[in-house]
Amino acid sequence: MAATPIPLEVRNIKKRFGDTEVLKGLSLTAQKGDVITLIGASGSGKSTFLRCMNLLEQPDDGELIVHGEPVRFKTTKHGREPEDWKQVVQMRAKLSMVFQSFNLWAHMTLLENIIEAPIHVLKKPKKEALEHAHALLDRVGLSARANAYPAQMSGGQQQRGAIARALAMDPEVMLFDEPTSALDPELVGDVLKVMHGLAEEGRTMVVVTHEMSFARDVSSQVIYLHQGLEEEAGPPADVLGNPQSPRLQQFLAPKY
Amino acid sequence: MIDLQGYGPRLIEGAGVTIQLAVLSLILAIILGLLTASAKMSRSWFAHRLATLYTTLIRGVPDLVLMMLFFFGGQIGVNMITDWLYYSFDIDIFVNINAFVAGVVTIGLIFGAYMGETFRGAFMAVDNGQIEAGKAYGMSDGLVFRRIRFPQMMRHALPGLSNNWMVLLKTTALVSVIGLSDMVRVASEASKATREPFTFMIIVALIYLLIASVSEWIFARLQKRYDIGYAEAD
Repeated sequence: MAATPIPLEVRNIKKRFGDTEVLKGLSLTAQKGDVITLIGASGSGKSTFLRCMNLLEQPDDGELIVHGEPVRFKTTKHGREPEDWKQVVQMRAKLSMVFQSFNLWAHMTLLENIIEAPIHVLKKPKKEALEHAHALLDRVGLSARANAYPAQMSGGQQQRGAIARALAMDPEVMLFDEPTSALDPELVGDVLKVMHGLAEEGRTMVVVTHEMSFARDVSSQVIYLHQGLEEEAGPPADVLGNPQSPRLQQFLAPKY
Repeated sequence: MIDLQGYGPRLIEGAGVTIQLAVLSLILAIILGLLTASAKMSRSWFAHRLATLYTTLIRGVPDLVLMMLFFFGGQIGVNMITDWLYYSFDIDIFVNINAFVAGVVTIGLIFGAYMGETFRGAFMAVDNGQIEAGKAYGMSDGLVFRRIRFPQMMRHALPGLSNNWMVLLKTTALVSVIGLSDMVRVASEASKATREPFTFMIIVALIYLLIASVSEWIFARLQKRYDIGYAEAD
């Protein structure tokens, strides 16, 4: 069998903010089609871990290998930094991120948001980018809102739009940073439905979430983080169905 | 009808000088302002200190003093260099500091310092999530600047920029002291010759007012353009 490169591998990631060590050596391997969910209490480091994967945060230690290509680092007086920012830019184009607060570019319409990076980063012809964008808008149910500005859309629409923007990059891996946490409860369903569909079509995804039902139904692997360390990991049936550590048992227990 | 006693064409020429001087100074001030803002936001200690020195010096010295320093002091400096070239290398050149260039450089330098603060505040007002989204989608720093930071910053910068421009426009009147025939100088010469200062000064005042009104209209259009997408958010 021809060896296709592993989409994303991170090994032994460490990160400190000042005196606080928030990540104490975390690893993860996302094979093609994997949906890995990161769960844990706030402050457990799950979002920081995700942000280290596309270097929005600079890890102090550890390896990052995207599509078989290790990111090179060097040490400067400001700390550890990527050796070649061009490599980082190329690497980031293979990973699309969906943010908790959507972060659609406010001065562009939804359609402009979706074609922006494909045209300027991937250098796609505009016609092709537009065709792809319209197909994606149709898929997330936002065809009617193509020319709306983000401020004119509901949170749920913005997040589905942001997912369309991520898909437009044909990403190797999609990173989701608490994609439903900023949404009104009645809007969460639409976003989760879109993410469900993505998982079914074999997208490789790493998802930080508080939605336990999503983690249970969709993910191939669940990682429970506690204070910057992996406490328990495995298939959702084991981790969520039969938690071993008392902390995870307590985390999963009904809160009322 | 007001009798301009033949000074009409010269006044129009003077107004042309004023406008050219103001627009070129504005362009220089915007470039210097962007550089100063970037330097003040950079983590380079040297760039930061240099920019702080620049704004402190410029904002602490009166415009008129700066203008004369650059014009007369600049000529002395240039002469020293050309003398040195002549005695050391037998190169004989003569450089005369042009009053127009000196005016543009001085006004540009003065307002570059104010623009620097305007732009810095505006850049800091851009939501970091917008910039992160650009980075996360593989944009280089240059692309993030051009496509996201600059257009979003402009919305916050325009009110201050428009204010600076109005003050800059009126500051151009100072160039008459270094011998440039802007409309103020033409008008004051005409006033002396005809002994009718009121006639000429009121005309000059009206021309300034006209330029200011047209600029306000242009700035309102620009603001509308850069506010796109935010109407509902505010």
